[in-house]
Amino acid sequence: MRRAPSWPRHAIMIVVSFLMLVPFYWVLKTSLTGENIYAYPPHVVPVDPHLFHYVDVWYLIPFPRYLLNSVIVTTMAICGNLLFNTAAGYALTKQFPGRRWVVLLFLSCMLIPFQATIIPAYLITSWLGVLNSYLGIALPLLSTIICIFIFKASFEAVPRSLIDAARVDGLSEWRIIVRIMLPLSKSAIATNVILTFIWSWNAFLWPLIVIRTPEMQTLPLGLARFLSVMEDTTGALFAFVVMVLVPGLTIFLMAQKEFIRGLTSGATKG
Amino acid sequence: MRWRRILGHRFVAVPLAVAVLVAGWNIYIACNDGGIIEGEVRDRLGVPVAGATVIFFERNFIYYQEKQRTMTDARGAYRFDGMQVHVGQLEARAADGRHSERRQLRLWFRAQNADVAPLIVDTPRG
Repeated sequence: MRRAPSWPRHAIMIVVSFLMLVPFYWVLKTSLTGENIYAYPPHVVPVDPHLFHYVDVWYLIPFPRYLLNSVIVTTMAICGNLLFNTAAGYALTKQFPGRRWVVLLFLSCMLIPFQATIIPAYLITSWLGVLNSYLGIALPLLSTIICIFIFKASFEAVPRSLIDAARVDGLSEWRIIVRIMLPLSKSAIATNVILTFIWSWNAFLWPLIVIRTPEMQTLPLGLARFLSVMEDTTGALFAFVVMVLVPGLTIFLMAQKEFIRGLTSGATKG
Repeated sequence: MRWRRILGHRFVAVPLAVAVLVAGWNIYIACNDGGIIEGEVRDRLGVPVAGATVIFFERNFIYYQEKQRTMTDARGAYRFDGMQVHVGQLEARAADGRHSERRQLRLWFRAQNADVAPLIVDTPRG
């Protein structure tokens, strides 16, 4: 039987890749040239490119401060996610009365948009006294339901006999998680880290509500502030966008194998 | 061998490479951040112009104002010290009314030491 030629598939993939990459290229090109995005005819190849727009952004707005805030909040969110989601995911692999209802409750909570719960979330954060603090910004992302299910699916794939053997050897539940479950769930960990990173790094609405001072602002808020304060700064604006994007892209490129494996394994094991 | 494997892992190697680059760049900045901007003022024939006033304008998205001014010496040379800027414009004004174009000066970091190409005075002041 003759195999179908592979070139149509590759041609489609090249076209799709091109369509996906063009906006990135355009942002990068504009950050290097400062060319007005409405200029006609547009230059496809950068004309007189330079990196000084990045220098402008670095000095004219408190970029290092925004970056530090984003890094602190994202690190807290990732650590909290790994801790709480691991514990919750492991608990859901156990049999206990009402387990089915807990799973159903989690699933139904996933259907409620964050905007609908933002006022109670704000009130709870205020009651805890962590408004305008790193913990307050990271609080809603310290545990996410979708990541709990990713861990649950990953833990359920671990052979039951392995856990029983560990228990016979005298390991506590936490040590079983740390020594047995987590080393066998690297894809789930990578997926968790990347998803939390992306959500936390790009979060806008929640930080906008809980942050009250400019020095606590994160990068997305800084970008909005930059847009509202500066005018006629196309090159610097796009340089800022690239600087916000680069950390997320770097982490995704480093961990894309684990990320995709984690997502697909979560889809089939659950 | 185990350390080599750990260091070679992309989650370690990439942040490490970034940290080395950032450290290297900061060391370079620390060695070149005297804020010294110097150059010469000449006329169209290349003759040094003594006693010309050189003005540095701070120009960015927010400010466009005179930051500092200095005079050229007998060799037509001028020097600004302690300039905590990364972008601006330079203009030379000779005593006889001639002046230079305002030249854009962009630096890679704040207070970078810079040797500017000669400012040419030729246009009579209108």
